[in-house]
Amino acid sequence: MRVFTAAFRFQLALARRKPDTVHVLVTAPLFTLVFVSIGVHAHRPDFTASAVLAPVLMSLWSLALLTAGDLISQDRNRGTLEAIVATPARFATVVLGRLTAVASVALVCFAESWLVAWSCFGVVLTIAHPLVFVSCLVCSSLAMAGTASLLSAAFVLMPSARVLQNTLTYPFYLLGGLLVPVAELPGWLRPLSRLVFLSWSSDLLRASVSGPAGHWWTALAAIVGLGVAGAVSGALLIGAILRRVRRTGTLALT
Amino acid sequence: MSALTSSFHVVRYSAANAVADFRATYTWRSWTFGWLGRMLAQVTFFATMGLALHSSASAHYLVVGNSVMTCVVEAMTVVTSSAWERRQGTLPLLAASPARLIWVFFGRSLQWPVSGTVTSLVALLGLGPLFGVTWSPGQVPVLVGLVLLTAVSTYCVGLFLAAFVLSASNARNIVSNVGYLVMMAICGVQVPVSFWPDWVGVVAQSLPLTHTLAAVRGVAAHAGAGDIALRAGWAVLAGACWLGAAAVAFTRLQIHARRNGHFSFAE
Repeated sequence: MRVFTAAFRFQLALARRKPDTVHVLVTAPLFTLVFVSIGVHAHRPDFTASAVLAPVLMSLWSLALLTAGDLISQDRNRGTLEAIVATPARFATVVLGRLTAVASVALVCFAESWLVAWSCFGVVLTIAHPLVFVSCLVCSSLAMAGTASLLSAAFVLMPSARVLQNTLTYPFYLLGGLLVPVAELPGWLRPLSRLVFLSWSSDLLRASVSGPAGHWWTALAAIVGLGVAGAVSGALLIGAILRRVRRTGTLALT
Repeated sequence: MSALTSSFHVVRYSAANAVADFRATYTWRSWTFGWLGRMLAQVTFFATMGLALHSSASAHYLVVGNSVMTCVVEAMTVVTSSAWERRQGTLPLLAASPARLIWVFFGRSLQWPVSGTVTSLVALLGLGPLFGVTWSPGQVPVLVGLVLLTAVSTYCVGLFLAAFVLSASNARNIVSNVGYLVMMAICGVQVPVSFWPDWVGVVAQSLPLTHTLAAVRGVAAHAGAGDIALRAGWAVLAGACWLGAAAVAFTRLQIHARRNGHFSFAE
């Protein structure tokens, strides 16, 4: 736990020094402006919940993805990777701690989005089930950290995949039903969509705002389950990578 | 050698650098399935919102707006790629050379508006018909010209911002993202410019995208050639003004850097 906390704090300190790492805090209000304007222009107040909540999940996903891609490669470029790996602390825990920090930062975006909707359009988003809402946000950020640790390992295994890092944004926003609920996506896409934790998060967040929250525990269990699956796969993959590079002495070259 | 010929050579050499950079970044496969796929997903993302609003007119509006927007996103990458010069340690050498920085940086990132034009055209001509946006063969050349104009004129807006980001390269991604998101919000991409307060509309008129997008929508609505040409003319004027502003900003930066030597060799 101490390793996790130290990694968490380190990543927050890093974010303070490099504003680009928390660029979502600047882009989320603008995305809110764009989405809410579409709903207001179409005279569709029912669209408000999606318009305010989508930028939060988008920020969560894009920030974790960006960090997942940069985390190990930047340590390698700075020459600190060997030293980190040589310490007794589990490297997978360090990665997970750092990714949880960025996922937490992204939650600030909800306050920003809410304020933009209220101050620019007079739209007030009320939350019908605050407990479900908060639980969903917390579980989603943890699930994001877990999923991102898997991606982080994948980026190390396939450095060329970094070029495709950007590619993993909008297709997942679509699959995750961030603006258009999964129920309105084509039937053949829905099973695939349910494998992405974002689809459960977006449905549950919308339900917790407009109510009734229905079988909220099913959705929450799915978010946690998919997050844990990502974190475990990521830890196993990172462990396998480290064993291989220790054996071959190619840590700096992987 | 005249100043014009000299500037042209600088742009040409710099553009060769841009081509090399693009080749090093993408293969045809990673560009097609990576970049293009991502941008088409972005257009689809917004278009499905139109469908969810149960309005084919909204879907049509969003498809056209967001298809054109893709070249803007890519053209604005000039803000980021210009800042790479600082990281690579070439900026002090560029500042010391007799070449004007504006022409170096104008050529340096030309890969983005070219690639962006292709992306936008694939979205408009390939994805558009899936959402009911169709074009006749006679409209295609006009469309190509307007998309190219959008990409190049927005590139000039990006160049202006890039001149400032060279002094604060840590903020390159923020500036690039904010730049294109502001355009996405106010230039008529998602909702008409008239939706916003008047003062926002005034700002929107200073951005080339507002005019080129109106022209593209005019082509889609079979508007008269005069209307479209007028809109394109305003976009050319706006783009030229932004290029002029970028030239002034780069010149001041170059003078300041030579005097104070503030271009470091790293970030």
